[in-house]
Amino acid sequence: MNEFKFMRAATLADAAAAFEKADDARYLAGGQTLLPVMKQGLAVPSDVISLARIGELAGIAVSKERIDIGAMTRHADVAAHKEIRALLPALSVLAGGIGDPHVRNRGTIGGSLANNDPAADYPAAVLGLGATIVTDERTIAAEHYFQGLFATALEPGELITRVEFPVPRRAGYVKFPHPASRYALVGVMVSDGPHGIRVAVTGAGAGVFRVPAMEQALAKSFTPEAIADIPIADADLTSDRHGSAAYRAHLVGVLARRAVTLAASPAMHGHRS
Amino acid sequence: MNAPASFGKSQVRVEDQRFLKGQGRYIDDVNLPGQGYGAFVRSPHAHARVLSIDTSAAATMPGVLLIVTGAEWATQKFGPLPCRSPSKVNRDGTPFKDPARQCLVHDVARYVGEPVALVVAATAAAARSAADAVLVDYETLASVTDRGRAMAAGSAQLWPEAPQNLCLDFEQGKRADVESAMASAKHVIRLDLENNRLTAVPMEPRGAIADFDRATGQYTLWNSSQNIHANRDLMAAMLRIPKDKLHHLAPDIGGGFGGKNSVYAEPIVLLYAAGKLAHPVKWVADRTEAFLTDTHGRDQHSNVALALDDTGKFLALHVHSIGNVGAACGTMGPFTPTGGSARTQGGPYAIPAILYSAQAVFTNTVQTDPYRGAGRPEAVFHIERVIEFAARKLGIDPVELRRRNLIQPEQMPYTSGIGLAIDCGNFPAVMDRVIAMSDRPGYAARVTASAAKGLRRGFAVTPYLECSGGAPQEEAQLKFTSDGIVLLAVGTHSTGMGHETALAQIVGDRLGIDLHRIHFRQGDTAATKIGGGHGGSRGIELGGCAALKAADMVIDKARTIAAHALNSRADDIAFGKGKLTDSKTGQSMTIDGVIAAAGDQSRLPAGMSVGALDSTAVFDREMFTVPNGAHACEVEVDPETGVIRVVDFWAVDDFGSVINPMLADGQVMGGIVQGLGQALLEEVVYDSDSGQALTTSLLEYALPRADHVPRMKIEFYEGAPTKRNPLGAKGAGEAGCCGASPVIVNAVLDALNDYGVTHIDMPLTSEKVWRAISAGGKA
Repeated sequence: MNEFKFMRAATLADAAAAFEKADDARYLAGGQTLLPVMKQGLAVPSDVISLARIGELAGIAVSKERIDIGAMTRHADVAAHKEIRALLPALSVLAGGIGDPHVRNRGTIGGSLANNDPAADYPAAVLGLGATIVTDERTIAAEHYFQGLFATALEPGELITRVEFPVPRRAGYVKFPHPASRYALVGVMVSDGPHGIRVAVTGAGAGVFRVPAMEQALAKSFTPEAIADIPIADADLTSDRHGSAAYRAHLVGVLARRAVTLAASPAMHGHRS
Repeated sequence: MNAPASFGKSQVRVEDQRFLKGQGRYIDDVNLPGQGYGAFVRSPHAHARVLSIDTSAAATMPGVLLIVTGAEWATQKFGPLPCRSPSKVNRDGTPFKDPARQCLVHDVARYVGEPVALVVAATAAAARSAADAVLVDYETLASVTDRGRAMAAGSAQLWPEAPQNLCLDFEQGKRADVESAMASAKHVIRLDLENNRLTAVPMEPRGAIADFDRATGQYTLWNSSQNIHANRDLMAAMLRIPKDKLHHLAPDIGGGFGGKNSVYAEPIVLLYAAGKLAHPVKWVADRTEAFLTDTHGRDQHSNVALALDDTGKFLALHVHSIGNVGAACGTMGPFTPTGGSARTQGGPYAIPAILYSAQAVFTNTVQTDPYRGAGRPEAVFHIERVIEFAARKLGIDPVELRRRNLIQPEQMPYTSGIGLAIDCGNFPAVMDRVIAMSDRPGYAARVTASAAKGLRRGFAVTPYLECSGGAPQEEAQLKFTSDGIVLLAVGTHSTGMGHETALAQIVGDRLGIDLHRIHFRQGDTAATKIGGGHGGSRGIELGGCAALKAADMVIDKARTIAAHALNSRADDIAFGKGKLTDSKTGQSMTIDGVIAAAGDQSRLPAGMSVGALDSTAVFDREMFTVPNGAHACEVEVDPETGVIRVVDFWAVDDFGSVINPMLADGQVMGGIVQGLGQALLEEVVYDSDSGQALTTSLLEYALPRADHVPRMKIEFYEGAPTKRNPLGAKGAGEAGCCGASPVIVNAVLDALNDYGVTHIDMPLTSEKVWRAISAGGKA
């Protein structure tokens, strides 16, 4: 790892000021992506600004209609949160399946969404549940937030402060973990909530995407059979050593059906395939 | 205090307290006052000519103490990195090719990660930044990383002296017999097999600290190595320094698996830098460096042909392999895919004629070298896959086909078709026992239960046979201190296997001393004169037998001391359970009494002086042992996704006498998980066009995790102890990965039998399984 300057911001304003002043600053929101790429020399920031001590980014608030999660909330805390588990178990399961215990104890929802790794789990939750991203400057709807490979609507220096999830009637998340990284080779979130039926896929393409044909079919009949024959085009899907586009397309279908089954079952609302 | 016999009993490791509480001392815990930090400049290209190196910017950066380039290294005319391959003669009698590989590249870099320069600075970060500022001008050359293409016309050539990139063209066995048997056999079953390229990924990456004392000319090298003595000799020779001027020692080692056996370039360059600076220089690899530069293992492609008669009796076996040596010879060079893979061909089966031929080839990849098993797991895979394949093809039950061909106990001793002298073993009994453990009567119900979940269940049983190896000589020393401690020093090397406990059990049991009073030392050229380190499952077989021999020397001397004290004759003193007894008078003395007497000149007989009990033994292995066993497993396959789960695993292993069943269990378990990794997950990949390494982190290289590990039941067959060493022990370290890969692959193919799938290459990734099912066209 190369040398860099390190500071801990106490407030959002502090963080923004430090970011502005530095040559090439990066926010540290858990470091589960940033630190490995710094170690490999793929990122060589001049300044690293830790967000860990900013009170405005902490905390979980749950009501019957909405779950608000502060940007610096760690995956392990989302996974273990009793009210989230009761109201939106698919989200608990998703958070509890990210990476490994080390990652879940350090990584944060805000860090994950700002990074927008095409194989991260949280983008599937945000798009698949119709969540809203709140930043230090504005609110952004999920469908406007994700803009492809590692790209988001965030401006340079703009910070996510919290994420607001509407509570759906039912939802299920099924993930096929990448055998090495445990990112999603493919992950599918299916929900039936205030924004209608949503099917969001992560891992399979350059960024999280919805599958309108499946959503329409599920709106008519919320059963795995209803989407059994819907083909997934693999032309735009990712192809790599761990999964060709054709295999990923196939998995989207399998996992979507399994997610529907889970969403429809009262006990389990998500699992790893 | 006399100890209850602990030999043969499970005993919690004495080193656990240290390791589990974070009190182990690994290479990164070793720090010397005033140490500088090294960072290596490495080739980013698979094959490139170094046109120039510009260090001017790096040299002026803060904290930079020294830069050593390949050009400077060349001016020193140090020896090349050595190759000690036991297989070195081509089938036409000419010698193999061993091109000179230097520690730092001067002219041509031949794999991604090959060291080009070393930067030493006051901090690790400053060293890294300065290393990044070294400007190397490369002319890139065409590369070849795939062993299958290495010999093809038009492929990149790595060394002018090695046409077609051929390092060694090897053959062992009975060619004429095999050819005539193949020509006339009722059946010849052919199968092409892939042994995927692996890397050991020890939890602790490699690292070293070198120091130099200008006043005495003494070098000291702390090194995360499992082969301290032999590598000291080789490194000292390269650097042209006397052996005794290089003190080589290892702290605790966090895993080796073969990957810390070789002589590596980095510690040698650190020694040179420390000599120049006359102060210590430290370097510890990061995980990416480990993936790029640790020696890799396996990487063989084999054509296997098995000839059978009309009753299913095996007549002949021919295996031809192409093995990837890497960019130049590693410390064992072409041995693993050639002689190393030849030794146990044919496994535990009576096959009259066996031929093993192999071509070891150079490619633009890091060196391959021994990786847990070093050829024996490959050989097990060849025979066990082709038998399973033959059984399906000929419609014979795979267990029955094996049973018909196993070497029978009454045939022992038996010289195998490839020439392996097997002294003992009861292969049918071992296979029957693992089948009995695996609840065959309940299988049908388990198949039905799996089917109800949409899963296909499969079962396989595969015997295995291997042989121990490594350096044939070992030293052990016992020294007695005035406070009742016994210091045991050996030249074998535990990298986490538990020698500190097992060897203490052997000595403690023999002397009747509690094993906690035995303090263990290893991996230090100042502690023992010789040492074979670790490799070839030799820890107990060599280190244990040397320790036992030293304990027997102590007992001989103890009898003389006791006779003097008891006014008796040494011949009349009997020793047992920590007590020396005059068989005539019944008078006795404890071993502790003798130890105390040995520290007091007035109580010693003439000719003995204080410290007389201290003993050094050297044990010579006359013949290596033949561990064997049988593994069985059940798997579930999700045909919709291709995901495999190994549900249950049963093992019966014949390691001869078992010193500590708990540790032997651990060896088998770890080996099974390693074999599972090869079967299902692991594969080092280079891009075949650019030669770039693609698996350079744990995000890309899939290791087995806890949730991949099946339920395991492990038993030991102790009915055939070997007479080849006084412990009756056969090496245990490499057995697990010999049996696991083939039995898991065979069980998956059993599960997929209904789909018409007969073979899938390792690793059996979910996509490969899904594609095989889709292509099989049956269900």
